[in-house]
Amino acid sequence: MEPKPIDWEKLASIIETHRTRKWNLIPLLQEVQETFGYIPPESMEPIAEALNMSPAEVQGVVTFYAGFSLKPKGKCVLKVCRGTACHVKGSRSILRFVQNELGLQEGETSEDYQFTLETVACLGACFLAPTMMVNKNYFGRLNPTKVSSVLNQYGKSKEDDGSP
Amino acid sequence: MMAEHPESCIVCSKGNHCELRRIAASLGVGDSGLYPMPNFPSYEQMNPFIIRDLSKCILCGKCIRADHELVVAGAIEYNHRGFKSRPATLYERPLEESICTFCGTCVSICPTGALSVKNTAYVGTPDQETDSICGFCSVGCSLSMGVAGQKVVDVNPSKSRASVNGATLCVRGHFANDYLNSPARLTRPLVRSKDGEGKSIHAPAAWDEALDAVVMKLSAIKREFGAGSVAFIGSSKCSNEENYLFQKIAREIFETPNLVTLSYDTGQALAARIDARTGGMCRVNPLAELEGARVIVVVNADPGRSVPVVDYHIRRAAKKGAALILVNPWKIELNRWAGAWMRPDYSRPSGPMASDFLLALAKGLVADAGYDRGSVEQATDGFDAFYDMISRRNGIAGEAVDAAVRLMKNQKIAFVIGADTLCYPDGAQTADAVANLLILTGGIGAKRSGLFVLLPESNTLGAMDMGMMPDHLPGRVRLDDGGNIGPDMEGFIEGIESGRIRAAYIMGENPARSLPQPDRVAAALKKLDLLVVQDILYTRTAAMAHFILPGAAAAEKAGAFTNLEGRIQMFSPVVQPPGEAKADWEILAQLIWKMGHPEHYQSLEKIRQEIRRLVPMYQGLGSHLQGWIANNPKGGKPAFAMDFPPVSVALDAAHPFIARLSAPRHHLGGGTRTGRSERVRAYGDHGAVEISPDDCRVLGLEVCGKVRLVSEFGKIERSYVQSSRPPKGMAIVPMGENQNDAMGLAGLSGKNRPASFGWTVSRVGIEKI
Repeated sequence: MEPKPIDWEKLASIIETHRTRKWNLIPLLQEVQETFGYIPPESMEPIAEALNMSPAEVQGVVTFYAGFSLKPKGKCVLKVCRGTACHVKGSRSILRFVQNELGLQEGETSEDYQFTLETVACLGACFLAPTMMVNKNYFGRLNPTKVSSVLNQYGKSKEDDGSP
Repeated sequence: MMAEHPESCIVCSKGNHCELRRIAASLGVGDSGLYPMPNFPSYEQMNPFIIRDLSKCILCGKCIRADHELVVAGAIEYNHRGFKSRPATLYERPLEESICTFCGTCVSICPTGALSVKNTAYVGTPDQETDSICGFCSVGCSLSMGVAGQKVVDVNPSKSRASVNGATLCVRGHFANDYLNSPARLTRPLVRSKDGEGKSIHAPAAWDEALDAVVMKLSAIKREFGAGSVAFIGSSKCSNEENYLFQKIAREIFETPNLVTLSYDTGQALAARIDARTGGMCRVNPLAELEGARVIVVVNADPGRSVPVVDYHIRRAAKKGAALILVNPWKIELNRWAGAWMRPDYSRPSGPMASDFLLALAKGLVADAGYDRGSVEQATDGFDAFYDMISRRNGIAGEAVDAAVRLMKNQKIAFVIGADTLCYPDGAQTADAVANLLILTGGIGAKRSGLFVLLPESNTLGAMDMGMMPDHLPGRVRLDDGGNIGPDMEGFIEGIESGRIRAAYIMGENPARSLPQPDRVAAALKKLDLLVVQDILYTRTAAMAHFILPGAAAAEKAGAFTNLEGRIQMFSPVVQPPGEAKADWEILAQLIWKMGHPEHYQSLEKIRQEIRRLVPMYQGLGSHLQGWIANNPKGGKPAFAMDFPPVSVALDAAHPFIARLSAPRHHLGGGTRTGRSERVRAYGDHGAVEISPDDCRVLGLEVCGKVRLVSEFGKIERSYVQSSRPPKGMAIVPMGENQNDAMGLAGLSGKNRPASFGWTVSRVGIEKI
């Protein structure tokens, strides 16, 4: 399956609202990331031109922050916490379980662009350890049963926008 | 850092220059005993200039700062974080597919072997390093040349603090100097003779024998046909001292007015015109003032390709916030920063042309009282007449003109003008209009201002100052119109064709490759009774010569060049000339002596003394490393140009397009020297003609393919690419490639016909093949 084609007009209108304001690079990129789910690599040149920077500088910022991605992501982005508290509570097994269930390694996206699997250093919800996030929702005190029910919840509803 | 660094010092091309090794040694960090953490990203060396081995990168960021702050290119930037972090191009493509210009600034500044020069034959530290001046373009960068075994193996920017270029260079200066080791170098005098089978060959001869024969034959032709039958072509690649001696031989010994250089029409005539307009008060234009300027106007120029180091100055100024105004038919990299872009159009008879825009700017400044009234009234006479003239003109209006006038109002302005401006139908008016604007804005002698003529070669200005021009004596002393003024380049070729000129002595030029209509030029040169060529390479011109005298390149001799700023830069030899070749001034000095002249120039200092005595503006020439030429010692007065006759371009249905011939970054002019560089050759053919998308549609051309360009004078076949750089109706044709065949499109005599184009611009038809 191909990722969704880029809506160039929408991209142009986002860029236009930030034109010539170099300090707006990060808000601009956040808006693009939010709208498209990733930063289309082809968008770096028009963004650079609008802010009077070089495209390589834009790429430098995009690759620096984990919040920006140059690759299209799945509809549901899973962030499994690998922080200390979660680790103690067995997050390694949780991660392995998710990997097996989805057939994905860290940083990979499923072929149907439904899931992307990521790990993070801490979600700041250690009292719920082990935890993970799916898009903007937290799931805590995980065990394999709970994880597979969460995955089913997101996997079954392929047509909707990913909210449970 | 040490744990991550590969232990390849023995074969690392950074050799003893490696700062990591030096610091490790001084800190006593030996074998660290740490677990090695090799970090081996891909090794990249597809391009012929730079090897990128990022496993040796210590992430100091110097290359990125050089790229962003010194040359303002923006080709590389840090990517990723932590252990993954490294400098990368856009989309992490190899350098040759990025916007990298291969200036090599990052290579010289890299403390380790992560970035190094691609050398096929040599790895390691040069035996010694000597400073010299680059012999390519008119910026005159200070080089530090590394020598191993009497060969120049490495070139870096010199560490001298007073250099023009600082830590930067361009692809030519950094990488193309390997032409010095080309097998085409001339190593001994050659004399045309017959071999056993009666075929004409060039046979080696002893210096004395060759020089005696040259003197005898030149004198015989002068005796038989008169002084006007001998012509001398000097060189804007040779030093001031050499051009001085050469014009002395021509004027004093042979009493002939026939002396000219190839850059007369593409630089010297323009510089002389502006010098006359400004009363000789605008001779010194330091590039530091360009970088400090708040407003910069660029006219008919592509500095990024012709004189890259000037381009860096403009980019740095723009980055600091200077307003950039462009009057340019085609798009250049500087357009990224342009505050206003006026686009002359020479494909229609009605224009507007560059001079129209410049006059409109003057009109706008006068109307808004945005000029420097005090200095104008003090410095010039006849401002009232100019005020009347400019106010009454029907200037063109438009958004770009208004925007430019707003930016220029009440500011000191630096002007940058392309060397081939006179090749346009309104070239003379453009030059005059620029000089007018400079005077109007009080820019003469002011800070953050100046008029920068982007001359083509290392000593174009010096050759002019030494009188190597048909209409000027040394020191820019203009000969009266009635006086004994010789022909320009075109007149020189016509003179040979008509049989008036029978002998020519060509020093350091290759007219059979660099001039328009090269085949016509070659046919003319063949007709000569005597052709003496003094050069460093076996060129097409040399191949036709009766006598070939092997000279020396800038790195192999001492001398002085005058750069486009008016800075006189002295240099000393880095290596010996190859074989029996000699410094050109020594050859000329011997000739002068053999001709029975009383002066015997045994040292450079003797020539310099004579120049200092006779040319007041060259007191700065001497044993110091640098000096400056002087403004008109008698004190001149700038004068407004008043005469702007209407110019129209004649259309030609068979040749509806305009071809602009321009050298790509890695070639200088016709590419006689850069074409002999192994690295430039390995870079491959970059000769694709650039055609605008609109024209491609009209001509039914795909995105790329092959076309035939046909002009009144000749035709060439080239690949093409669709490009947004040229405007509709114009094609950009790279010079230097493919034996410089592009010059076949231009007409030698074009510039003297009204409303037509000069050497680097030509009307063409484009056919798909």
